[in-house]
Amino acid sequence: MILTKRFFAEAGLIAGLSVVLGLALHVPVIRQFLAGEFAQEFIAGKTGPGIILITLAEAEDLFAGGKGAFVDARSRTDFSAGHIPAAKNLPFEEAQGEALKEFTAAIPPGKTFVIYCSGKDCPAGLTLAVLLRDLGLEEVRVLMGGWDEWIAAGLPAERGNDQE
Amino acid sequence: MIRNKHVLYAFRLIIGGLFIYAGVIKIADPLGFARDIQNYRILPPAACLFIALTLPWFEALSGAFLIVGIFKRTSAWLLSFLLAGFIVLVIITMARGLDVDCGCFGSFSRKADWRLILEDALMLYMSLQIAGQRRPLQ
Repeated sequence: MILTKRFFAEAGLIAGLSVVLGLALHVPVIRQFLAGEFAQEFIAGKTGPGIILITLAEAEDLFAGGKGAFVDARSRTDFSAGHIPAAKNLPFEEAQGEALKEFTAAIPPGKTFVIYCSGKDCPAGLTLAVLLRDLGLEEVRVLMGGWDEWIAAGLPAERGNDQE
Repeated sequence: MIRNKHVLYAFRLIIGGLFIYAGVIKIADPLGFARDIQNYRILPPAACLFIALTLPWFEALSGAFLIVGIFKRTSAWLLSFLLAGFIVLVIITMARGLDVDCGCFGSFSRKADWRLILEDALMLYMSLQIAGQRRPLQ
């Protein structure tokens, strides 16, 4: 039965029907997605209390006042190429279990977490914020425009992977 | 191989019913399901959205065909592949140490853990019994 023409014809019909129905019934959703309207909205349902999306100006204030603990959710390579001064690198892929707990324990108390990733369409920052919030951190902030917006505004940056 | 037609019919109702249920719940909330897929951290957002929009229909249609008896064995094979895929996915997810909701039944979902693997394996057994029937039943 399996791997016969009949199997492939029937399986193709079911799969094709699913794709057609699935896509046809959600044209508005697909349009919104293509327009980049909710690249981060997928996980919005899990953000909820404790996570605040902030603008560049707010991030700048926290930076200038020395109150922000900036967390870079991008890869180590991206981080080395340039990041917000004094930011700590916590690549999204490594943010699990013990590593995550150790990371949060190393941040001095009284600082406000500001997480960012590459730009506004990367989900890493928001997902990381959810993980940190779930660890019990209060007031986790996410810089919506990410690194792209920061550097485009001509704000200070530093290079290298020295996190000390 | 089970040959009792009542048992096999019961298997079809159980598997078909569960997949229709799982499919319909997710059709109703595609973005929630997209988020659940994204939590597994395997696929990029566009792929998550595509799967979130189409997989629920695939589950519901296969489940319905299985119960109604159209493309019965093909549907059983397809659902078997899906179940086998889910089992592999949960094992990988556990091996990576991720703590995620399985996304199986919308907001009623539970954690992706060992019990889920056992349940999926049981369902896989049932659907393979249906898929593997070579000769028609008397």
